[in-house]
Formats: sequence, C-alpha cells, structure tokens
Amino acid sequence: MSTYILRRLIQTCIVIVILSYVCFYLMTLMPGDPVDMMISSNPKITAADVTRLRSLYGLDQPAYVRYGHWVSDIVKGDLGYSRTYRVPVTELIGPRLTSTFILSLTALGFSLLIAIPLGIFSALRPGTKTDYIVNFFSFAGISIPSFWLGIVCIIVFAVWLPLLPAGGTQTVGAQNMGFWADVLDRAKYLVLPVLSLSLQQIGRFVRFTRSAMLEALRHDFIRTAKAKGLPRQVIIWRHAFRNALIPLITILALSISSVFSGAIITETVFAYQGVGKLTYDSIVGNDFNVAMVSFIISVAMVLLMNLVADLLYGVADPRISYK
Amino acid sequence: MKKQISAVLSALLAVAMLTQCTKNETASTETSAAADRAPAAKNDLVIGISQEFENMNPLIMTMSATSYMYRMVGRTLVTMDANGKWYPQLAKAIPSLENGTAKIVDVGGKKKIVATWEILPNAQWNDGTPITCADFAFALKVAAAPTVSVGEKETFTQVEKIDADPANPKKCTFTYEKAKWDFYALAQFYPLPKHLEESVFNKYSKQKEGYEKNSNYTKNPTMKGLYNGPYVISEVKLGDHVTFTPNAKFYGPQPKIQKIIVKLIPNTGTLEANLRSGTIDMISTLGLSFDEALSFEKKVKAEHLPYVVTFTPSITYEHIDLNLENPILKDLRVRKALLTGLNRQDLMKALFEGKQEAALHSISPKDPWYTEDPKKITLYPYSKRAAGKLLDEAGWKMGADGYRVKDGKKLSLQFMTTAGNKTRELVQVYLQDQYKQLGIEIVTKNEPARVFFGETMKKRKYGAMAMYAWVSSPENNPRSTFHTSSIPTEKNGWSGQNNMAWSNPENDKLLDALDLEFDAKKRVELAHKILKHYTDDVPVLPLYYRSDVSVVPTYLKNYRPTGHQFAETNDVEKWELAGAKLN
Repeated sequence: MSTYILRRLIQTCIVIVILSYVCFYLMTLMPGDPVDMMISSNPKITAADVTRLRSLYGLDQPAYVRYGHWVSDIVKGDLGYSRTYRVPVTELIGPRLTSTFILSLTALGFSLLIAIPLGIFSALRPGTKTDYIVNFFSFAGISIPSFWLGIVCIIVFAVWLPLLPAGGTQTVGAQNMGFWADVLDRAKYLVLPVLSLSLQQIGRFVRFTRSAMLEALRHDFIRTAKAKGLPRQVIIWRHAFRNALIPLITILALSISSVFSGAIITETVFAYQGVGKLTYDSIVGNDFNVAMVSFIISVAMVLLMNLVADLLYGVADPRISYK
Repeated sequence: MKKQISAVLSALLAVAMLTQCTKNETASTETSAAADRAPAAKNDLVIGISQEFENMNPLIMTMSATSYMYRMVGRTLVTMDANGKWYPQLAKAIPSLENGTAKIVDVGGKKKIVATWEILPNAQWNDGTPITCADFAFALKVAAAPTVSVGEKETFTQVEKIDADPANPKKCTFTYEKAKWDFYALAQFYPLPKHLEESVFNKYSKQKEGYEKNSNYTKNPTMKGLYNGPYVISEVKLGDHVTFTPNAKFYGPQPKIQKIIVKLIPNTGTLEANLRSGTIDMISTLGLSFDEALSFEKKVKAEHLPYVVTFTPSITYEHIDLNLENPILKDLRVRKALLTGLNRQDLMKALFEGKQEAALHSISPKDPWYTEDPKKITLYPYSKRAAGKLLDEAGWKMGADGYRVKDGKKLSLQFMTTAGNKTRELVQVYLQDQYKQLGIEIVTKNEPARVFFGETMKKRKYGAMAMYAWVSSPENNPRSTFHTSSIPTEKNGWSGQNNMAWSNPENDKLLDALDLEFDAKKRVELAHKILKHYTDDVPVLPLYYRSDVSVVPTYLKNYRPTGHQFAETNDVEKWELAGAKLN
C-alpha cells in the first residue's frame, strides 16, 4: 500500500512539472504581455520605456529561461510578485484561498447533506410522485445558470427582502466587533453564494446518488438480504449504500479537487474575494506568477484527490486491493 | 488561527442559516440590507467601483481605480480642476515665465527650464513630518532607478535635478531636461516620504523590483506618514475594499465625511442591486457602463429613487482608425466619403439619447484647444449624396447587388472592435447599415480586448477599420497618436499609437514645435493647424466624446466629476452629506 502511494506521489510530481511547463509556455503564446497592457492604457509610454520594462520583467527572454527562473524561485519558497496588484503572491493568494475553501467546502457539505438522503429517498421509491418531484427539482437545479440564480438571489434576499448582504466577504470593520460578531457576520455573507453554488450541486448529486442506489438495489445480494429478513435500514445502508459509494466517491473526489479552483461566476456576482476570479483575472491580465501558482494548486488538488479516491475505493469495497 | 476558527464557524453557521431559512422568513427586518455595513454609520459613504485596484505606491501604480483612490490620500504640486484648468495643490503657486518664477536657460547650447516651486508651509505627511523638496528629489531618485518598474519614466525624469534652498527646505529649484511650455504639468509627479521610504530603497534598490516589493506602501499600507491628502488609508483588502478616514494633519480644510469606503463589485450587472440594497451608497465613474447608466436613469425617474445619474462629457475620444496601408483606404476620396456618409448626430440620438456628443476631431470641447470653426478645420456634415459622389469620383460604381465595385472588386471593408463591448457592437451594427446604403459592404470581425489591443492593434494587423477610444488630457500634444515616429513597428518595440500609419511631414513639424511654443495664443494656433491636417487627411473617423457616468445619492453635495484623468476625488474634502438619511 505504501509503495503504491509513494509511486503515485512521484507520478503526481512529474505530472505537475510537465503540466506547469506546458501551461507556462501556453501563457507566453497568448497575445499581449504586461507591458502591452501598459501601452494600451498609457499612450505616452515611449519605446525606451517598453525596452526597459520588458528587460526588467524578463519578458525579453525565451520562455524556457523564464520558466527556469520561476521554478528556481518556487524551490526557494518565493512564489513571486503579482504585477497586477503589486504585492507578493503569497499575501494575495493566501486569504483568497481560505475564502474560496470555506465557500466551496460549505457549499459542497450543504449539497451532500441535502442530496444524498434525497437521492436515496428517491431511489427507494422509483416511478412514484415523490421520485418525479425530486427528479424535476434536480434537473431544474442542474439547468439553472449560476450567474442568473446569483442575481435573482441578490434581488430577492438583498433588495426585496433586505435580509442578507448583496455581496462581499465581510462587513468592513466587523473583525473588530468581537469573535462571535465576526463569525455571524461572515456567515451572513456566505449564505447567498453557498445557496447559489449548492443548488446546482444538489441536483447533480441527487441524480448520481439515485442512479447508483437504483443500480445497487438491483443486485442479487439485496434480494438475498431481503429474503433473509434483514431489517430495511441494514439493507439500505450497509448493503445497498455501501455498494453505491464507488461512483459517488469518484464524483466527490473530483468535486473536492475543484474546491481550491474557486467558482468564478459565483465569486464575481457576489463580489466574493475568492481564488477563482483571481485566477481568471491573472490569466487575462498576464499576471504570470499568480496564474501559475493557482494552476499548480488546481492540478495538485485534482491529482491528489484522485489518489484519495483510489484509496477510498479500497475502503468501500474490500475486493479492491493495492499492490 | 483565530481567523481560521472564525471562518470555519462562519461556514457552519451559514449552513445552519440555510437549513433554517424557511423558518426565518418572518425574522426581523432589522437585519436589513444596510446592516451589512458596520453599525451606526452616521457619516460615511460607500462608493462602488467595478475596476480592480493595486497597492498604492504613487510611483508604481498604473490602474485607474488606484489613481482614483490615491487622490484622496496623496496630493502633489499641481493638478487640474473639472474645467481643465491647472491649479496648485501642495505648491503655493504655479511657476511661470511671466512672473519670473521660471526661466529658460542655455546650458551647453541646450535650452532648459529652471523653475522655483514653493511647497505650502503647512503641508505635511500624516505623521507630522513636513513635506520638503527632499521628498520630491527622493521620488525622482527612485523613479530614475533602473530596478524600479515605473511605467512612464519621463513623468519624473523630465526633471533633471531638484535643489532645495539652504535657508528654506520647502523652496525647491527644479531644473528641467528640456524647455517645454507644459513644464508645470506635474500632476503625476508625486512626492515620496523620504523619512520612511529611503531606508527601504537603500536596502533593496539593487534587486530587480526590490524596492516596490518591500516598500511600506506594499508591506504596511496603513503606516503613519505615507500620505498627505485629506484622508488616510485605515484598511486595505485587495480585491475587496479600501477604507479612508480623515487626515488630521491635512494642510487644507478638514474633510466633512468621516469615513469613505471604496468597495469593489466586479460585476457591473450587480452594482445596481448593491446600490438598491444599501450595500453601497453611490457608483463612481469607474462603475456602470453607459447603457447600464441610461437604463438606471429611467428607473430613477420612474420609481422616484433618491439618486442622481450624472453624465459628464469627457475627453475620451471614441473613433475609428482607418488603416492607411489598405489599398482602398489609401484613396482620400474614399476616406472622405466614409466620413461624409456617417450621420453622427443621428447616431448620438438613436443610441445614446443625446447624452454623448458627436466628435468633429480628436480634441474635445472641454479642451481649450477645441475648435469647430470651419475656417480652421474641415468639417464633414452628413450628406449621403456627397458621399456617393466622392465614391463615384474614386471609381467605385454602384453594382446591381447594391454594392459598389471597381475593376471587378467589391467595395468591402473589414471593421473590427472589442468583442463583448455592447455599446461598440451597437455602433458597429448602426454603421454597417448606414454604409450599406452607400454601397459599402462592412464585414465585422471582433476580438476580445486582450487580443484586439495586445496583438491586432499593436501590430496594425486590422484590415481596414478599428473602433476604440483614445484617452488623453486637455492641452495634450497628440504626438503619440499623430507623429510618424509613433507608428508602431517592430523596430520601436511596437510602441506609439499611430495605428493608422498616418505620416504627414508638415504635421510632424507642427507637433515638434508645439512642445516648444511658450506663447499660449500661438500654441492654440499650432493645435488648430494640426487639426486642419487631421481633418484634411482623414486618417480617422471621429465618432463621439464619451461621457463619464456615475450614480450619486441626492444628499451628496459638491460632487463634481471631471471628465478627465484627474478624478473627482481631487477635491473629495469638499464633498458633503447634506441632510443624509443614513442607517
């Protein structure tokens, strides 16, 4: 098992290095660089300014040389400097990563809390009115565009019924109002983005849970368990649900891996200080250091969560072993 | 750690709130929208912006939003008011040749200017340290350093050296590299607090970008002593908001508003909802797009909302560059036909409800150099018939399919602009229809702004027509857009914005002479001669001068948008919340 994990971790590192170079190189191919952005916003920038700035930023060097510099800085623990915000990347990305983590994980947790019981409930009553209603709302949740839902949430809960803030992460100055006031304040700001993010996820998870459970309930061992007279709850949870877990673990692992990538649309609509919008802006604004760090985090999370999923398969199904 | 715990608890609480929300529908409305701000905000103003901002080191900043905010906390020797007039801020007076505070000197055959600037006696940093010539000299030293990434270096290096009067550290002698008439236009030459920043600069000046990474503006932006304006920064959260509180050491009258928060709401579509919910009190000129403002103004009138939507004519010039290397557009008659066949007045009424002004040329009516005198410039009033005649003369005859042809080739022009810009795309459709009536086929090809500006315009790869805007300031020498040397080429690193590749040697001479003309009257004459060439040669189709839009509460008084790059926050200390009904 430990050899397997070690092998996978080494593979993960190699994939990260290869993908980071590919990503870096692709970014250099995009039209315009930070100096071009400056020229378009300030026509007074001279040819001498252009040459000086390109040399200062290292933009006059080939991509592989720049990549080499970037890697050597990363190895030294220096994540670089954001040319858009003019601050070190660590200072910029740290708080945003925490905010995104809180938002995405809360939304994911909330979605699972609602979706799994609802999916099981629906699977146990296939073809009934309840099943149709659950399916209807699941498809509705999946189909509603999150930007639209976000705006509707703001209009309803912030403008019409002024119950919740329209956007932001925290009230200005709330952190000085005491610990619990701070907690309550942050929670208030999380409600609408979480709601907007969750509705889609709930729909998706309900569908997956329902179909996985339906599949599991068709197996012969369920019939045997019923024939043996096992209690209904034992059949559902110990036999059916455990077997339905394999596809759910895959979906869950992929969902967790995106927790750090952020939710660009939700973050933008709710002016939530997350890493998703930061990543998007850094790519558009050619802010290499920020974009690369965000990219590495996303890739690493996808790879690590896949590893975790593979390990969990073994826990859910003892027939799966790792050598 | 406490923060993390608080965040986790918040998340749990949010889930609890969500699961309980049905029960809470009747909950008190005291948790009203306005309550998302700190309680008891009796005299504060929350301004919404939709553009990102960076750290506020005045030498390094490049973003409009940063500049908008910096003017609340930082002042320099001079600036420009809403009427386009220069006035002193940190200086006692603006030096001039007329009153002898500036003179032209000859140094080794080169003409230079020596000007005396005297800083206000009560001008000080917010830690009480007086602002002296040494702070300006230090800013110059930092800006000139090769390791510091100042964008437009000439802003600073136009001043060769700064000497202080030994008897008065606030009396400075600026020696300028060249004798230019606008030597006093130092609105972006900000001083740096030498007493705080010198040690940082000395320590890191040898490292590439070492100073800016370690500057107090980056590491500790709320540090006492970094600012000299009516406000100081009391909190910065990049990507979210900046809080400003009055600066007790400000040299001028104390600001009337006790707290200003500038809040970033990146989605312009939700700015209105944030305003209506009370999350923000106003939307700055860096917020709504023009069409959103027009639509909101209608709602304000219909619903009697307590806001005023302001449309301020600006000097931002929306136009269409004509690629003079295009074989069809090389013919002046075709270019003139395009301009004559363009009904700009109708366009302004149809799309902008008359709230943006049709442009005659590149200089806006806000600029003292503006003219509409037909004796000085060539005007092109709309005439479909005259446009058709010009095209006939150029050999483009109307074909059976409604399009003009010459030597078997259809009169077809490619028209590019930034994709996703609703206003520009509407103008494009409007013009496509107008030119169709003239027998000209317009083929649109739009690109994302990044590709359009970063590649297509930079390398002049557009087929025939490209629509975008030029931003400048009043009395600005248009060298970077009109001079032959400003045609972007590989040789000059694709710098300059003469994307039309317009080359007129006569005009180049006038542009060179403009900088050196100290007589204001003669300068206006030169500017008009330049405009004459511009309107004769038609390298560009002028469209309109944009209006800056903002939404302010009716209780905000003395708010005056400027319409140019020196934002209204220049006189933020005059803003007042008269009879404000705040939470």
